[in-house]
Amino acid sequence: MSNEWEIVIGLEVHVQLHTRAKVFASASWGFGKEPNEQVDPVVLGLPGTLPVVNREAVEKSILFGLVVDAEIPEQCAWDRKNYFYPDNPKNYQLTQKDFPVTMGGKVEIELPGAARNIMGEHKWIRIHHAHLEEDVGKLSHSGSGSLVDYNRAGVPLLEIVTEPDLRSAAEASAFLNALVVKLTQAGVADCDMEKGQLRCDANVSVRRMGDTQLGTRTETKNLNSISGVRDCIIYESRRQIAQIEAGHKITQETRGWNAEMSRGYVLRDKEDAHDYRYFPDPDIPTLKISRETVNRLKKHVPEAPFDRQRRYIEKLNLPYTAASVLIADKALADWFETAVAAHPTNAAGIANWAANDLLRELSAQSGTEVGSDETPAVKISLDSCLIKPAQLAGLVKLTDEGVISKQQAKEVFTEMFSTGKDALAIVEAKGLRQNSDTGELEKIVAEVIADPAVAKSIAEYRAGNEKAINALKGPIMKRTQGKANPVMIDQLLRKLLG
Amino acid sequence: MAKGFDIDHLAKLARLNLTAEEKVLYSNQLTHVLTYFETLAKADLPVNSDVALVVTEKALRSDEPGMSLGSDAVTKIAPASHDGQISVPRVVDDES
Repeated sequence: MSNEWEIVIGLEVHVQLHTRAKVFASASWGFGKEPNEQVDPVVLGLPGTLPVVNREAVEKSILFGLVVDAEIPEQCAWDRKNYFYPDNPKNYQLTQKDFPVTMGGKVEIELPGAARNIMGEHKWIRIHHAHLEEDVGKLSHSGSGSLVDYNRAGVPLLEIVTEPDLRSAAEASAFLNALVVKLTQAGVADCDMEKGQLRCDANVSVRRMGDTQLGTRTETKNLNSISGVRDCIIYESRRQIAQIEAGHKITQETRGWNAEMSRGYVLRDKEDAHDYRYFPDPDIPTLKISRETVNRLKKHVPEAPFDRQRRYIEKLNLPYTAASVLIADKALADWFETAVAAHPTNAAGIANWAANDLLRELSAQSGTEVGSDETPAVKISLDSCLIKPAQLAGLVKLTDEGVISKQQAKEVFTEMFSTGKDALAIVEAKGLRQNSDTGELEKIVAEVIADPAVAKSIAEYRAGNEKAINALKGPIMKRTQGKANPVMIDQLLRKLLG
Repeated sequence: MAKGFDIDHLAKLARLNLTAEEKVLYSNQLTHVLTYFETLAKADLPVNSDVALVVTEKALRSDEPGMSLGSDAVTKIAPASHDGQISVPRVVDDES
C-alpha cells in the first residue's frame, strides 16, 4: 500500500467475564453444554421475573477498569436496547448506554520489532469506556429455518470500546494481544477465542496522510480471532482506498467477514436496526459503586506486563527475548521470580532456562503451541511441573560455580524435568561433577606447561598477550576428559606461570 | 394528536405485518397512550424529583449458579422446536 494513506481503526471488544452464573440471572454458563440447558425464567424474560445484577460481574468489570487505569464512576445504570431478532428472548438486550461501569483508560501495546530479539515500538491506545451487558443467544441456520440456543443469552459481556487510535492491522493485533494478557492475568476473563469468549467489531476508515478529518467508516461485526481482525483490517482498508482512488465515495455500512474466503461483505440492512429506542431499564436500579469496593479491588491489580518487562530488562539485566516470553504468562513470571530469589546473582541465566528449555518441555508436555497468533497469553500449566523454582536456581548455581559445564547442565535439566530431583543429587548420581581436586589438577597443569609444544604460547602470555593462555586450556581439558573445572584451570595456570 | 410517531416505522421495527384496519386501530391506541404521558409531563413538579432508585452493592446477587429450566421446558413454551433448540423462520446475515 502506498504511504499516502492513513488507516484509522477503533475496536469494540466483547469479552465474556469469568463468572459462574449469568449477569442478571442465576443460571450457570459454560462452553460445551447441550442446547438450552443453561436457561432460567429470568434469561427468557418470562412474566413475573426480575433481573438482579451479579456482583462478581460488576467487580470483574471494575477490576478491568483499574487494570487499564480507567475512571470508575460513582454510579452506573442499565438500559434496554430494543430490537426484534430471535437471538434475544426478551426483544431487548440489557446494556449500559449512558452510565457505563468504566470511563476512559489506556492500554500499552508493543509492535513487532525488526527481529524476534529486538523490541518493537511501544504506544498507548486510549479506551473510551467499557460497559457491562448481557450476551445474546446463538443462531444456527439450516435449510428453510434457523435454530436458537439460549445458553449464551445472559452471559456477562464486557464491551470495551477504544478511541480511534489504532493505525494499522499490526497495531490492532498488538492491542488485542496486550488486552488479552491483561484480562487473563487479572482473572477478569479467560479470552478463549475458540470458545467465542472474545469477539470483536472493527471500525475502519482511511484518509490521506496529513488530513485531520476522519473518513467515512465501516463497521465489520463479529470477528472471532486476532488473525481475523488483522486480515479484515487489511482487506477493508485496501477496499476503501481502491474505492476512493476510483472516484467513489465510502458508504457508512455494517459489514460481515468471511474468514474462510478472507473477504468482507455488506450485511443486509437490518431494517433501521439503529433505531434501538434505548430507555433506562425500570427493573434494575442504578448502582452506586462504593469507593471501598474500588480500593479493595485495586489490591488485585497485577503489575502491568510491560512494566514487568522493563523491570526485567533494566533491573535484572534480562535480554528482551527472555523478558518478553516470561511476562506473557503471569504464573511463569512469578515462578521465575521465586527462582531468582533463591539465586539472585544470575537472573539472566535462570530466565534463559525458564523461557527456553522449561517452556519448551512444558508445552511439549501439554501439546500446545506457545505464543502462536491465537494464544497470545501463554497457556501452559506449571501445576504439573516437577521442577521447583529453587531447584532450577540450584542448577544455575552449580553451572555458575563451575561444578558442571553448560553442556552437562542440559543433561541435568532433562533428568530434573522428568524426575523433579535436585540438581546436585543428579550430578552426584551421574558422576558429572567436574574435577576440582586441586592437587591432581595442579599436577596435570604443570605437566602440560612443561610440554615444549606450548612454549610459544607461554612466552606470548608472559609478554602480555592475555589470550595466549587459552591455548593451554585445551590440552588440560583433554587430559582430564573434560571434567576439569575451567575456572580452576585458569587460576592454576596463572599461578604456575607467575 | 401526539407528535412523532409513524405507525409504519414502528410496525417495521416490531416486524409486524399490519392491515390497514389494524394500523388505524393501533395508531389511535398509541395516540391515547402518548397523550396521557404528555399530560403527565405537564405536571408541575419540584426540582430534583428524580425517582430513580439507587442501590448499593449489597443489593447485588452473589455469583452462585442456580437452577435451569432444562431444554424440554424451554422448547415446550416455544411454538416450534427441533433437537432441543427453538425453531424460527430463517434469519440470516450470511454473505449474500
